[in-house]
Amino acid sequence: MSNRALAYVALLLASMVAGLAIFWHPAPAERPLPTPGLPAGGDFTLQSVDGPVSLADFRGKVVLVYFGYTYCPDICPTALITVADALEQLDPVEQERVAVIFVSVDPARDTPERLREYADFFHPRIVGVTGSEEDVEGIAQAYGAFYARQPDMEGGGYVVDHSADIYVVDGDGRVVDKLIHGTIAAKVAQSIRTALRL
Amino acid sequence: MKKSLLLALGLAFSSSALAGASTHVTVADPYVRLSPPSALATAAYMVLKNNGEAGIRLVKASNPLSRTTELHNHFNDNGVMKMRPVAAIDIEPNGETALKPGGLHVMMIGLQTPLREGDVIPITLTFDDGSDMLVNATVVRQGIRPAQRQR
Repeated sequence: MSNRALAYVALLLASMVAGLAIFWHPAPAERPLPTPGLPAGGDFTLQSVDGPVSLADFRGKVVLVYFGYTYCPDICPTALITVADALEQLDPVEQERVAVIFVSVDPARDTPERLREYADFFHPRIVGVTGSEEDVEGIAQAYGAFYARQPDMEGGGYVVDHSADIYVVDGDGRVVDKLIHGTIAAKVAQSIRTALRL
Repeated sequence: MKKSLLLALGLAFSSSALAGASTHVTVADPYVRLSPPSALATAAYMVLKNNGEAGIRLVKASNPLSRTTELHNHFNDNGVMKMRPVAAIDIEPNGETALKPGGLHVMMIGLQTPLREGDVIPITLTFDDGSDMLVNATVVRQGIRPAQRQR
């Protein structure tokens, strides 16, 4: 190739670069990329006292998913009080677009009736659900939640070790945030608002 | 004989014989968290302050409302919260130990009657030297109250 031809090619490339720089302003991506560390999550159907509840029932809403159990004396109440507090920080229009699903990791003891009483105590927007051991295990796995029933205690009953993250699911059913135990209510509310805008 | 009796009496009533660890402990903000009506257990929280020069261990707690009372702690094991009984709760000399949600707490297991907001529960704390003290903990509903929901 002659020097002349090379010069043309160089000029062409330079003008393309300049043209891109001047005229090409890509719009920022509408949706954030999946954040590493977030579980796949996905749809599920479990039983509430009022019948089956599916994650898919809440398309268009932000859903907080939490795994716990009603005999949980400290961790679950702490998390649900925080969630209730966060809900109250939202305005009524926002609140209408948020649901909370409390998935029991103790199907042996948590009946739908118990779950309703438990969830209602914290906030009317929280729905408690349970299912077969296999169903719950599969859902927990999809969400990266862990739980393990411990041996019976001296005083009777048993505790269930469990991960205590709150999963934030957007209106399309995707997990968009994971809030670790101890996250303050204001941060939970902020995460809900972010998910509402997705 | 008379002399030794006097000596024994003197010892018995001397401050060193009466002063247990409990005299060095003050308790701030004791409360019991109101649990849902169906719950069989709840927890009591407080801040234990040791005003003495020696370390003090809380080894036992009891209350008349639950079948058993245990000292518990939570461990965060890679995001998994594990609640376990502990043998004792240490309070450093001139230090304080907070019993709070998600951490150390007094577990009240097997509530015989449902708690109501405002109930006062007498909790007896026993320390490693056998001395004890009574703490009156009020039942508190944490978080939002029903009235606030009706905005």
